[in-house]
Amino acid sequence: MTHLHPERFGENARAALGDEVLRGALRKATGLFGRQRGAAVAEMPEWEALRERARAVKAEALASLDVQLERFEERATANGIQVRWARDATEACEQVKAIAERLGRPTIVKSKSMATEEIRLNEHLEQAGHRPVETDLGEWIIQLAGETPSHIIAPAIHKTKRQVGELFAEKLGIPRSEDERELTRAARRALRHSFATAELGITGANFAIAETGSILLIENEGNIRLATSMPRVLVALVGIEKVIPRLCDLQVFLRLLPRSGTGQRLTSYQSLISGPRAGSGDEGPEEMIVILLDNGRSSVLADNSLRESLACIRCGACLNACPVYRQIGGHAYGSVYAGPIGSVITPGLQGLEKTAELPFASSLCGACREVCPVKIDLPALLTRLRADVVEGRAPGQGQRPRRPRRIEKAAFAFWRWLASDPVRWTLSMRVARLAQRAGLDRLLPPARAWRKGRALRPFAPRSFRERWKEDDRRGR
Amino acid sequence: MSAREDILGRVRAALKGTVAIGAPGSPEVAAPTDLDSHAARVDAFRTRLAAAEGHLEVVADEAQAAAVLSEVVSQARAKRIAVSDAPLVAKLTRGLEGVELVDAADRAGLLAAEAGISCVQHAVAETGTLVLETHSERNRLVSLLPPLHVALLHADAILATLGDALAAVDPGGAGSASRAVTFISGPSRTADIELKLVVGVHGPRELTVLLIDPRTRENAP
Repeated sequence: MTHLHPERFGENARAALGDEVLRGALRKATGLFGRQRGAAVAEMPEWEALRERARAVKAEALASLDVQLERFEERATANGIQVRWARDATEACEQVKAIAERLGRPTIVKSKSMATEEIRLNEHLEQAGHRPVETDLGEWIIQLAGETPSHIIAPAIHKTKRQVGELFAEKLGIPRSEDERELTRAARRALRHSFATAELGITGANFAIAETGSILLIENEGNIRLATSMPRVLVALVGIEKVIPRLCDLQVFLRLLPRSGTGQRLTSYQSLISGPRAGSGDEGPEEMIVILLDNGRSSVLADNSLRESLACIRCGACLNACPVYRQIGGHAYGSVYAGPIGSVITPGLQGLEKTAELPFASSLCGACREVCPVKIDLPALLTRLRADVVEGRAPGQGQRPRRPRRIEKAAFAFWRWLASDPVRWTLSMRVARLAQRAGLDRLLPPARAWRKGRALRPFAPRSFRERWKEDDRRGR
Repeated sequence: MSAREDILGRVRAALKGTVAIGAPGSPEVAAPTDLDSHAARVDAFRTRLAAAEGHLEVVADEAQAAAVLSEVVSQARAKRIAVSDAPLVAKLTRGLEGVELVDAADRAGLLAAEAGISCVQHAVAETGTLVLETHSERNRLVSLLPPLHVALLHADAILATLGDALAAVDPGGAGSASRAVTFISGPSRTADIELKLVVGVHGPRELTVLLIDPRTRENAP
């Protein structure tokens, strides 16, 4: 895990900007997902109503989270699921480790799960001598390569076919290939072996349904179906914010999530799992454990404005839409949660001490808010976190370089002085216009640095006030 | 304090002063409303299944279904065929010649099978989706492990919307009778290598739906 350093955002971003392969892949992926999303949304005239409903359901669930969680626990337990609770990453990892230990040295198959990546479950299990196998193709590729995901939907998007071919040749001992079908077949064969012998399956969950005590898992590949059907024991790691009140609410999220993520009307598979096998005539795991994970979520819930970030359904649409993410990709954020939502969730879960750079990794253009299927007001949340950093409400201020901040503060104080007086304002605008005409803005130090690679819009020859006055004189 | 008490306590403290309100509006928002008739549902299902790259064979009755099934299986050159324990599957596969039927409980056999045959408890016209329940049939691995999945669907089981399907799998809203409900729309797929679509990564490469619709005969010219 070489990339998990949010405090090195600047350094990480610069490295990403220098990586031509990564940037090409990002352009392709974010462009494709964005276009497909646009087409899928365009055929839904009621898209806005759908988003409103989803937002309302999530708000309802979060506002009554204690009740929903207790209800989920009660129903799940009645279905034969063992429900456990974990305050933080260490507790959750220890619980999974204990289960693995009880099974001896089980073959462990994992399906893609942000929660398990958040708590670094694999590292923890590996330190105890276990070998969890990621089974989502993209996740497996980066596990073989010892890397981390660069995109929430396409984790190995930063790797080319050639690199995957070389990796498979080295790790699996198969002939080198650059054909994606060939490579996918090789992965199927290798992972089938893991599934056939697996005794422990580890998954996340997209939703937990309080009313029925079920979890819902969404996927395209079928590895989640395998991981939830074949092993003797199934463990699902579920963030406490994943619970929704009713089963019928799922249809709203099923209409929204795939369209937002990949532009699909529906992904290939959804699995609604409500418990272990019902008897000897049934299929599925003999034992099912759901671990409800807090790990900072209750603190986010306590913050009235940040609370809405817990409504995120992890579709990735805001990443694809973000002009910053599109350039630097997921690694730069130094967290499993990247992009605009990552820049809110990571500081929310970890505090601002090491993550103070993240809220600034945005142009506040609002594209993320526009595509968010649950209408999270991301620019507002990013601005709020920026204020926390600047006003020193957050610990770890010192992480941001002090000098630029003092200049920034002074500049804004000067701006306020100029803009709050009509005479000073008019005069300064006239001076700025003349300065721009004379080309002075290209010479002055802070402006010169900023203008490297950027152009200011030229001032209008006459200001609005001047035109108004003139028109007034002419009696219009 | 236990982790449970601790977390619930923190959640309650965090929510102090928050008024819990029900979500306004209906969960059926954006559900298609033009699928009232049987014909409209079959038609929409057919279109959406094709869009999801599933194949469809329409037959009028079980006799025809058995004949088409035999064709599908022989075209796929499937010699080992995994079958669920549904009576209809047993009935339709009885006449298959030169093949070995693999029981749904036989793990090794399932892993080696070239085709799997199961029933489908419901289908969704809105999305071209098959809904497999486990309380009446062992269909989880039969529909997943072999490279070809043949699904037997009665036309009456095609519901209009995803909401209808959710209501059907859990009529009381108090817990489904099935421990697993699987929603299937087309074959298994991935685009994890350079965003190139490849089917059959972990699950079936091919999905064929045998739709048994007696009205086909009535409507035939």
